[in-house]
Amino acid sequence: MPRTIKLHPFTILAIAVAVITMTTAASLWWLSCAVMALCLLIAGWAGHLKKLAVLSGAMLLPTFLSLLLIHGLISRDQSPAIAQWGPLRVTIHGLEVALSLGLRTAVLVVVGLLCGLLIDKHQLVAAIDLSPVPPQLGYLLAATLFLLPQMAEKQRQIGEAQTLRHMGTGTGLAGWFQRMRLRAVPLVLASMQDAQDRAVHLSARGFPATGSRTRLRTVPDSSVQRGIRWAALVCAVLGPMLILALAGFGSR
Amino acid sequence: MRRKLTHQSTAVLGLNLRSFAYLDGADATLRNMHLDVHPGSLTVISGHSGSGKSTLGAILAGLLPRHGMDQLVGTVKVDGTEIEFSPSSAPRVDVAQWAKHVGLLPQDAGHYLSGIRGTVAEELAFSLENAGVPREQMHRQVTQLAQRLRLEHLLERNPQQLSGGQERLVALAALAISEPEVLVLDEPLAGLDRQATELVSEMINMLRANGTALVVLADSMQRWAHEADELWELDRGTLQRVSSEKQQRQPESGATQRQPIPADSRVLLNVDSVQLAYPGSTEPVVQDLNLQVRSGECLGLAGANGSGKTTLLKAIAGLLEPSAGTLVTFGQTGMLLQNSSDQLFERTVFREVSFGIPKKSAARKRISEVLAQLGLESFAQTHPYELPASARRLVALATVMIHEPQILLLDEPTEALDEAGESKLRETIAAVLERGGAVILSTHDERFMERVAHRVHLMK
Amino acid sequence: MSSNLLLPDESSSQTLRRRLLAIAGTIILVATYLTLIITQPMGIVEGLGQGVALGTFAAYLAAAVLLLLAVLPDLPVSTLTLIPVALALNIILGQFVGSVMIPLYIDSIGTVIVGFLAGRRAGAATGVLSTLVWSLFAPTVLPFAAGAALVGFLAGTAARFGALRRIYLTPVAGLVAGVLVGVVSSPVATFVYGGTSGVGTGALVAAFSSMGDSLLSAVTKQALISDPGDKAVVFLVAALLVYALPKRLSGSFAFVRRYRVLGKRVSK
Repeated sequence: MPRTIKLHPFTILAIAVAVITMTTAASLWWLSCAVMALCLLIAGWAGHLKKLAVLSGAMLLPTFLSLLLIHGLISRDQSPAIAQWGPLRVTIHGLEVALSLGLRTAVLVVVGLLCGLLIDKHQLVAAIDLSPVPPQLGYLLAATLFLLPQMAEKQRQIGEAQTLRHMGTGTGLAGWFQRMRLRAVPLVLASMQDAQDRAVHLSARGFPATGSRTRLRTVPDSSVQRGIRWAALVCAVLGPMLILALAGFGSR
Repeated sequence: MRRKLTHQSTAVLGLNLRSFAYLDGADATLRNMHLDVHPGSLTVISGHSGSGKSTLGAILAGLLPRHGMDQLVGTVKVDGTEIEFSPSSAPRVDVAQWAKHVGLLPQDAGHYLSGIRGTVAEELAFSLENAGVPREQMHRQVTQLAQRLRLEHLLERNPQQLSGGQERLVALAALAISEPEVLVLDEPLAGLDRQATELVSEMINMLRANGTALVVLADSMQRWAHEADELWELDRGTLQRVSSEKQQRQPESGATQRQPIPADSRVLLNVDSVQLAYPGSTEPVVQDLNLQVRSGECLGLAGANGSGKTTLLKAIAGLLEPSAGTLVTFGQTGMLLQNSSDQLFERTVFREVSFGIPKKSAARKRISEVLAQLGLESFAQTHPYELPASARRLVALATVMIHEPQILLLDEPTEALDEAGESKLRETIAAVLERGGAVILSTHDERFMERVAHRVHLMK
Repeated sequence: MSSNLLLPDESSSQTLRRRLLAIAGTIILVATYLTLIITQPMGIVEGLGQGVALGTFAAYLAAAVLLLLAVLPDLPVSTLTLIPVALALNIILGQFVGSVMIPLYIDSIGTVIVGFLAGRRAGAATGVLSTLVWSLFAPTVLPFAAGAALVGFLAGTAARFGALRRIYLTPVAGLVAGVLVGVVSSPVATFVYGGTSGVGTGALVAAFSSMGDSLLSAVTKQALISDPGDKAVVFLVAALLVYALPKRLSGSFAFVRRYRVLGKRVSK
């Protein structure tokens, strides 16, 4: 059973941002791998290991392949080539570049996905609502997240109704166009009509709030967490600068 | 029995309407009305689908006219203030402020709910949250309201997983939390089964007992006539007062019009020890079901939610294969799904009904006939989404009837239909039975079931 | 007449603040883009340009968020309820085409629809929000928020100047939008990620690179091959969907009426 972390959503995000920026700045393969391993451990503790692994893998595999093609096979630097067939030129350096770039993306993906899995959506929306950003932002995030499964279900029902009417059985290009039309138009019509119907009642209930706004839901926070958030943001900005400066000095 | 108001109390809501026209409407939808709502009263306005009831309700709640779009000429008196609408002065209304005095429960209660809160308690507090009410006070108000309206058991539920009746209860409570003087309810009891109808009626009575004035917009007055303080009928855009005597004299609703089943009729559907389950789920929804339906017979399916009525209908229609047993149909099936209005997508009713029918076939010629049978001939060139809900449902029915099915399957067919629509539905069922077909329907509406079904099969 | 039931006019300080936010966002975006183009930091191959990567990521994302915050309070509630539908359509309809093995990424169709119906600011906001929501499932899209905002912005601009009134103009508008978006987003792909995320596009970039192009121009050329066509199709499909809406619905948008987006049919 998935365990939940009771930290404030912004704390988790702040730490994630700091980790990502500093790891990217350092650009050390063992650090990147250690960070990803830590993420997998945390995911395992929280019960989301399989999801994290599968989603990251699905996203990172094409990326790695693409980088391999661009940098690994077609290096344009001057170092000696391992292998060469016509325009293809494989060098160790090229492969290293591809790997480093891939790891950079990998850290972003793994840490980012972990955040998505650990943060409770309702708590995140409440945290955003209670912060100084415009109230529309929290609404839009929540409405999209919670609307998506409803619309997917509606699409399924529409598909069922169309099967009953024996629609969408044409062949060739015309049949493909008709199927596209059948998939898209009823869903767009129904959901946009629904959006229009809802709007006036939202207004009647006082949305968007013009003055101060409150939430019934509590988002537990503490001064310790606030401190951690500030520290994390400072690290996220100054950390990379320091690391790059050090690296710059070191290479002189 | 009418409740007598002991003294002439001042109206909490007054409407003096000369005309109202929508942005894209050629003529005025509503004309020459005068309405006063007194505290704690029950005003019932009846009218068929498309008569303008919802328009009137929205005007009372300040949601119409849309600024810069619709045209209202007249005055509305709310909270002691008179707001004047004229062609030259179109004030910009603060709907949130207006809603604190006059609230509106729409026909589809789900439209009122925000859709972005995780629990019913938060849903109830939504308007308070937007007003910046402190958390402890909100908590108190929500708890008190839930106790008063007997909703405590729903407070921690997810608003998106509520049944239709529960949605309506939550929406009513959310409306009541700002304690408006008037509540306008648009068809509050439509489409509910008996249990839900009782719960919603109970809540309406509780609200009224608390002093809230109610304006109910309904398709037919029967349910409300004996409790109402004022009865109105909305016809051709204006209100006519209805006397209570007219109401007691209910028209003979044409008792059992059912034709008996011919003795030698052949079997059209044979269901033998059938088990039905959805792919991916372990529990079968329907187990060991035996059923036979003959030509000329109308079978009703009854049972609680989840007992498999819709599943069985889908299986007969061919959408679902039985995991055990045999299901044989002799003749073409046609099914009207519950959310059938969602699948409409063509630009006109005519194109919608004629979709998929080759140009030269016999079915093409029948289209205008089918439309006329359902009373839709004047809508042939209208966009389905611009039709009132009842007509839209009939369009979906037309798309099924155009293929002249031998076995007609109906899932909650009375939903969204008004009285006229329901009689068209009964005619359609009778026509199918007359030409030797069969009808199988599942509905919560026991009254309708009694009128059309020859027998009822209880699903467990 | 009590004013408590009527709306007050908006204060000018609020509009000023929003205008400043929008200007700040645009400046950051343009400045970053020009810096990258002009300096063309080649640290990609030698030092892997981590600083450039982080800087580009932060700048593009910050610009998009500033533009979003500038636009959000302006949007009427009818647009606000439309946007989540558009975002969901991006995902649901985008998936469908992807399953047909044609390299069309119709994942901006909702954004374009909002741009057509509610104007360029609403379109831009939808683009940014679409990216933000996608980022919960695919964090790598974040710096492309500015490009997504641009798609919505250009869709609204095209609609305003009549590209929808004649259906053959719409794909042309989409083509132009695709070119602009491809050009604006290429530096992100190049300097933040060092390449692209798909095998097909990666092969194209590799091909251009092997012919002697710098990484930036190779990625830009690849973008100029796939983006304009893709956006032309998206614009056309979105226009057809908007035309399929009943007049009551499309006519309820002030933007559509004011600029006669759908021609005389929907104006009053």
